Amino acid sequence: MKVTYNWLKDFLNLKIPPVELAEKLTMAGLEVVSLEGIAGDFVFEIEITSNRPDWLSVLGIAREVSALTGAELKIINPKEPKLKTRGLSPIKISVLDKKDCPFYSGRVISDIKVGPSPEWLKNRLELLGCRSVNNIVDITNYILFESGQPLHAFDLDKLSMRQVCVRRAKLNEKIITIDGQQRSLDPEILVIADKDKPVAIAGIMGGAETEVTAGTRNILLESAVFNPILVRRGRQKLGLQSESAYRFERGVSLGAALSASLSATGLILKSASGKPCGYKGLGISKLTNPVINLDPAYLSRVLGTVIPILKIKQILSKLGLQVKAKAKNILAVKVPDFRPDLKLPVDLVEEIARIYGYEKIPQTLPAVRPSEGIFDEKEVVSGIKNTLCSLGLHEVITYSLVDRALLAKSGIKTSAGLVEISNPLSCEQEVLRPTLIASLIRCLAYNLDQQQEYVSIFEIANVFSGQDNSVQEEPALAIALCGANSFLTGQGLIKDSICLLHLKGILEALFNKLGVNSFDFLPQDENKINIIIGQKQAGFMLDLSPQVLGSFDIKNRQVFLAQINLKELLNCINSGKKFLSIPRYPAITRDISFVIKDDLAVKDLLMAIEEKGAPLLRAAKVVDYYQGKQIPDGFKGLTISCVYRLDGRTLTEEEVVPLHNAACSLLEERFGIKLR
Amino acid sequence: MDINLVQEKIENDLAGIASLQALEEVRVKYLGRKGLIAELTGSIPALPVEQRVAFGKEVNALKNKLLNFIGEKGKALKAKGGILKKNNLDIGMPGIARELGSIHPITRIIDEICTIFNRMGFSVVQGPEVETEYNNFTGLNIPLEHPSRDAFDTFYLKNYSKLLLRSHTSPVQVRAMKAHKPPLAIIVPGRVYRPDAVDASHLFMFHQIEGFLVDTNIRFSDLKGILGLFAKNVFGQDIKMRFRPHFFPFTEPSAEVDISCIICKGKGCSVCGRKGWLEILGCGMIHPNVFKQVGYDAKKYTGFAFGMGIERIAMLKYGINDIRLFFENDLRFLKQF
Repeated sequence: MKVTYNWLKDFLNLKIPPVELAEKLTMAGLEVVSLEGIAGDFVFEIEITSNRPDWLSVLGIAREVSALTGAELKIINPKEPKLKTRGLSPIKISVLDKKDCPFYSGRVISDIKVGPSPEWLKNRLELLGCRSVNNIVDITNYILFESGQPLHAFDLDKLSMRQVCVRRAKLNEKIITIDGQQRSLDPEILVIADKDKPVAIAGIMGGAETEVTAGTRNILLESAVFNPILVRRGRQKLGLQSESAYRFERGVSLGAALSASLSATGLILKSASGKPCGYKGLGISKLTNPVINLDPAYLSRVLGTVIPILKIKQILSKLGLQVKAKAKNILAVKVPDFRPDLKLPVDLVEEIARIYGYEKIPQTLPAVRPSEGIFDEKEVVSGIKNTLCSLGLHEVITYSLVDRALLAKSGIKTSAGLVEISNPLSCEQEVLRPTLIASLIRCLAYNLDQQQEYVSIFEIANVFSGQDNSVQEEPALAIALCGANSFLTGQGLIKDSICLLHLKGILEALFNKLGVNSFDFLPQDENKINIIIGQKQAGFMLDLSPQVLGSFDIKNRQVFLAQINLKELLNCINSGKKFLSIPRYPAITRDISFVIKDDLAVKDLLMAIEEKGAPLLRAAKVVDYYQGKQIPDGFKGLTISCVYRLDGRTLTEEEVVPLHNAACSLLEERFGIKLR
Repeated sequence: MDINLVQEKIENDLAGIASLQALEEVRVKYLGRKGLIAELTGSIPALPVEQRVAFGKEVNALKNKLLNFIGEKGKALKAKGGILKKNNLDIGMPGIARELGSIHPITRIIDEICTIFNRMGFSVVQGPEVETEYNNFTGLNIPLEHPSRDAFDTFYLKNYSKLLLRSHTSPVQVRAMKAHKPPLAIIVPGRVYRPDAVDASHLFMFHQIEGFLVDTNIRFSDLKGILGLFAKNVFGQDIKMRFRPHFFPFTEPSAEVDISCIICKGKGCSVCGRKGWLEILGCGMIHPNVFKQVGYDAKKYTGFAFGMGIERIAMLKYGINDIRLFFENDLRFLKQF
């Protein structure tokens, strides 16, 4: 909304300089986004919040300025002109549904002289960015800006049978609007029609056929109140926006509708001559003035400060509200019809605080009583993120909305359960992702493109799937690894090419840190290993197939990913950790080194050792492995370390040797292993 | 400065040197970029022309002498032994440690803000991103088909009528208040979605933090106090704050909060659009109609609520000028956090 300094002066004795005024308006909730000095005047551009249709007018802003500065508001009440009834036959006006149009008025003015507007009128409109058309159209626009009430002038002689009817459009009824566009209408749209056809889209835009032109002699001046929802739906449907629709949608008042019609008539008679010769108004005729009871104690309770009653009364009456002391300490506040936003006592509290100044309300600190019985997993999730970070992974955040093509490229089947967006702006917002995998591959591929040698990333976010009538939304953790991690050691640089065991190691470290005590990794097929947590399948590891790698243009590299259902993981966190006493007596450790065929499972070897090593064997684990030189193809070298220990006393060699030898023998017998 | 005086000083300083560290200090004092030798060299242009050449030579000679001495002394001190010789290494070599990962800057800001409010007694609650139309709008006093909805462009789901992607974190107010009785002190971080055209400051997905406090005696002044404390914690003790009246359907009175521009300290710059102020959040006293929707007695309880965009705060704090960087996830970006 634009308003000029000089125009405001029509209503106020303004003494405050424009820059100061802009600051005051901003701090009262009318944010001045620009202030420009043009041609001896100042143009304020103000952002008006949607609850204040009354501020969409010079008068409304003048009223605000009056409350903010104390300057007296001068309102000129236009007078009813004396009608000259002779000459023209009467106009017929009807409204089919009062809910669609609570008030409609038409004023007939005959024998006007259409021509250019006087300079002062042109200038004022131009400062507001409104193009001058002719004196009649300009006057309706001028009154719209001044009073906030949109008006429309029809060329009376072009209205078939000199009648207008406010009704819904018929299906496929057509109208050419004043912007020259043909519009196709339907019964959701309210129109003004003459006997044959629509002549205006109610509250949104007039028709070209009946617009006021140089040849117009007699006009019908419309001032009405249309249903805001109908205007909103109509302009959304037609993809139209206008100053008029903007105001009707937010709500206009009957008071403004009545006085705007009179003001415009007065101006027309003055600048375009003409004779007023008919008026008809239909619908509500009484202004609504609800009363709100305000208890100043309530105001103090909400704001945390006491504002003197006198000040309260002064602020409210400057804003155009009538205040009467009702009972003891209760103010009865009569709300004018241009303030439909004021319904509850708290609405008055805001008005008073706004004008009084938010800055005058002190800062206090409440005694915060924490909420009972609220648990959130954010802390645990933060812990998981920190663990992964300490394992060298970088957290990423990717969009929850993806395109189908990305899912297909990632080898993700998308037939059922995909949740689609009905109003995406682009194909990248087609669906809610059912998995984090696709987003992570894209992110990883992007970083490889940026010449990263090693990419190790993770994300924790929700994934979505549709089931019958509901949408399932569950948090998931996903990890992606690729490339070779180079790092210095005391012996120089090591290049560690990432393999599946790195991914497994990260997951194990995380599970152990969380105290998950039962998990397993079960291979499913060529590309996939299932992750089992607490007997339940909770996720998977992937070795990306050549097709998927190819579709992301990833060359000569393997990419490993994992995704885990976070709910399942959190369910298996063991928060009841117990301390195990530290062994008091030394252990005896024996290593076994050997070469085995690749197809032997380490798990089976360890079980065999545990079988024979009992009861003194406390742990058997792989401590080294190697492939390459000295080891034939299809074989690998392994070292398993066996730890023997007793809790009550120190073990002797003699006790361990037979057990250890038995374990070694079993390996030789059962698996044909040759020990080294 | 007198060259003889400098020479004398040098001789005094050199006499007592017993460690490599002391030697380095002397080197910096005389040969550093702002050292005394540089000062002497700098004084040459001010001399009469005929003196310049001779003086320059003298300074050079002094400099060479000093360099020579430092080199010799260094060798001698190293030969004497010490920790580096014992370990056979050069402390200029890179230290050895495994590289840490990083936490996304958005997460860092969320954690920082949650921690501040946790300390004040607020609990974290999170809600679903797929929401009902009721929780996102109607329950928050945002009527159907009203212009106030225009501020909340929203993604809707196909085939699930009444379901949408939440356009703000405020629906969690409705959820939490329906599930719990006051007192409530809650903070809600999370993803939100709006069909906005993508540019350097707009995206269709971003993060918000919502906070609200409900009890029998919560006042607007408390909102000012709590947010003042918050701003000082996040942006520093010198930050100024102002509350501007605004309109939100779910609060009354409502306000937008500006902080003094952290770049220009309020003088006006390109970041704050020459205003000296940066808008960072919206807030207000919870509207009685919202209490009515969740079944709270609006006569008994009052409360405040506030909401802010995380990306904006992260951009201001870290000096990031393009919101898209957050979701591009370039490792060169992420590793800075």
